[in-house]
Amino acid sequence: MIIGIVLLVLLLVGLIWFFATYNALVGLKVRVENAWAQIDVQLKRRYDLIPNLVESVKGYMAHERQTLEAVIKARQQAIDATNLQDKMQAENFLSQTLRSLFAVSERYPDLRADQNVLKLQEELTSTENKISFARQYYNDEVTRYNTMIQVVPTCFVAQAGGFAKRDFFQIDDAAQKSAPQVKF
Amino acid sequence: MPFSFIEIEAQKSRLIAWLFIFLIGFYFVTVYLVLLVFQNTILSTMVAASIRRGLTLPSFNHVLIAFFVAFLIAWAHWSFSTSRLIQRISLAIGAVPADLRDTYHQYLGNIVDEVSVAIGGRKLEAMVIPTTAMNAFALEDFQGRAVIGVTEGLLTRLSRPQIEAVVAHEAGHITSGDCLSTTVTCSLAELYEESLSKLGSGLERSRGRGGLVFLLLYAVIGFMALLSNLIRYFVSRQREYRADAISVRLTRDPLSLAEALRLICGKWHGAGFDGEKMSSIFIVNPEHSALDDRAGFFADWFSTHPPIAQRIAILADMAHMDPSSLDDRLKDFKPASPVARPFVSAQPVLSPKGPWYVYLDQLWRGPLTLEALQKTTGFFLTSWVRSEGASTVMQASDIPELLDLFRSPSSPDAKGATASGDCPRCHVPLSQVHYEGVPASQCGFCGGMFVSQDKVSRVFARQDATFSPEVVRLAQTAWTVKKNGFLLSHPKADPKSLLILDCPHCAHKMRRQYFVYSYPVEVDRCTYCDGIWFDKMELETLQYIYENKEKFFDGASF
Repeated sequence: MIIGIVLLVLLLVGLIWFFATYNALVGLKVRVENAWAQIDVQLKRRYDLIPNLVESVKGYMAHERQTLEAVIKARQQAIDATNLQDKMQAENFLSQTLRSLFAVSERYPDLRADQNVLKLQEELTSTENKISFARQYYNDEVTRYNTMIQVVPTCFVAQAGGFAKRDFFQIDDAAQKSAPQVKF
Repeated sequence: MPFSFIEIEAQKSRLIAWLFIFLIGFYFVTVYLVLLVFQNTILSTMVAASIRRGLTLPSFNHVLIAFFVAFLIAWAHWSFSTSRLIQRISLAIGAVPADLRDTYHQYLGNIVDEVSVAIGGRKLEAMVIPTTAMNAFALEDFQGRAVIGVTEGLLTRLSRPQIEAVVAHEAGHITSGDCLSTTVTCSLAELYEESLSKLGSGLERSRGRGGLVFLLLYAVIGFMALLSNLIRYFVSRQREYRADAISVRLTRDPLSLAEALRLICGKWHGAGFDGEKMSSIFIVNPEHSALDDRAGFFADWFSTHPPIAQRIAILADMAHMDPSSLDDRLKDFKPASPVARPFVSAQPVLSPKGPWYVYLDQLWRGPLTLEALQKTTGFFLTSWVRSEGASTVMQASDIPELLDLFRSPSSPDAKGATASGDCPRCHVPLSQVHYEGVPASQCGFCGGMFVSQDKVSRVFARQDATFSPEVVRLAQTAWTVKKNGFLLSHPKADPKSLLILDCPHCAHKMRRQYFVYSYPVEVDRCTYCDGIWFDKMELETLQYIYENKEKFFDGASF
């Protein structure tokens, strides 16, 4: 009788723990998804801004056709990418081409005197920052989520509930990845 | 985040509960004291039979009533102070929402949005205090509305990454939950500061009859102003370190925050006259406090801000930098401006003399006298003209003598005029321009500019304009005139003769006067809306004096 009650209580406690953990995991997963959605919003904003920038810069930078075309191509690639891996790569490439566009634009003093171009550039810089902040936030959330589904008692619940590990949004930038070379 | 959401919420409500309990306790003590005094003075004289035997303590029932009254007052104070929290405090410190037509404010809006993404998408509003001081603040209310504000001076004197770091610091206050309690604290204290100053002025006015009542009230409220000082000790200085840490965590850029702090503390970091009472919501204490620079137990308890050198040292350490090398880095620091094409003043006006040649139909016509010129068909303000023998070609609008030809004879007292939006001098429509990123209206012909009252301080905070040699000379002349005591104050002049122009904004008369006495340049200020009309180069001259004020006030002679 007593053993029965003890078992029942244990079972009940176990069940409550199971549900609580499961709910916590769902909460974390939703946060990760929300963080991803935020990145998406910023990426879309960047797609919208790029044609405007290219259009207003074109007049000043007739000699930089290649750079401008690279930006447009990178944008199209990023829009077309379907799975996460491709998307990350395309977005990183787009960031890179934009950076080279800004670098090149330094050579054109006329551009610095055009308030419209400056405004677009500021908007785009801001969007770039937002993308990197959103990515940072997303990666933080993924870290928490991935840790949670792998630590010991919780991982059983995660397996039973079918919670899969999520990928980080990584920077695959060649320039940022390569280690600085030291020559003596 | 270093804290979980639930922990933050628990901590927040705990602090706020303590605040409320403290408030009740304070009022209870106050009411109890009043009761004690009342019983021992008035009552004891009325009841003649009573024998003096020291203090009579209030009975238990009286204490109960005192407690009830204290609770009621505390509750009323609390609910008054916590309603419309943000509105009340932003009004008290003079902060206004960012103006999205202004280039600098757009840029601030973007930065605040970025930080809002970094903390996970919580909505943050941007506000600006129109002062040239450097400081920043954060506010939060019970409904979850959050505001981050900076001063105009900070916006112009820091670079983008530095502003980002400062805004992230303020966001740190909001995410770590200490912002709400700080806001409530300030709001509770603000009520007394306000009534104290109001009563103070009331006292001044009513010397004599009724003065005693005021004096009594003043004493009571002065006693209660103690409260606002006591309440400040609920604000821990540790929270500044924590917000610094969160800022670094968000922006991964400790160096920019260290630089920002160094630049802020090197300049005047006041927040206007009223802001100084609410020091705890600002990033750097707007009041100068010797206590802030001290470490140790006593300072930890009684100061709202930690020593800034220590904050910088911690941040510099994170960036693997020596704090003393910061000064070298910042020696010639000048932030990049978001405003395109620095405003270049027009070429010096030489005021050439006629006779005139005018370029019409691809031919130079002339020589013409003024009267002949006026009758020439096709001659307009935009026409190119040159004078006899001169090689420089100018537009007619640049030559005052020719400009006069186009002025419609305005009747001096046209009644019932409506705001035309036209140039008060040339009577042509003003065009909307951005001067140093500030929206203003400018006349395309005479170059005069109308700046509304709330935007004047913005213009002075910004430093994008470059100055022509003409402006420099004008400024030096104006200063020399002032220094030699030749300042004209128009004491004898007929006041009506100074009302020359009509305000393009509200059609009221504008008065010709000095901008302020210490900046001796005459401008036209509207007597109704306080907007200012700057004739060509008046604004630049003022700005030149303002930006080089150290040089001018040090008594350099030219």
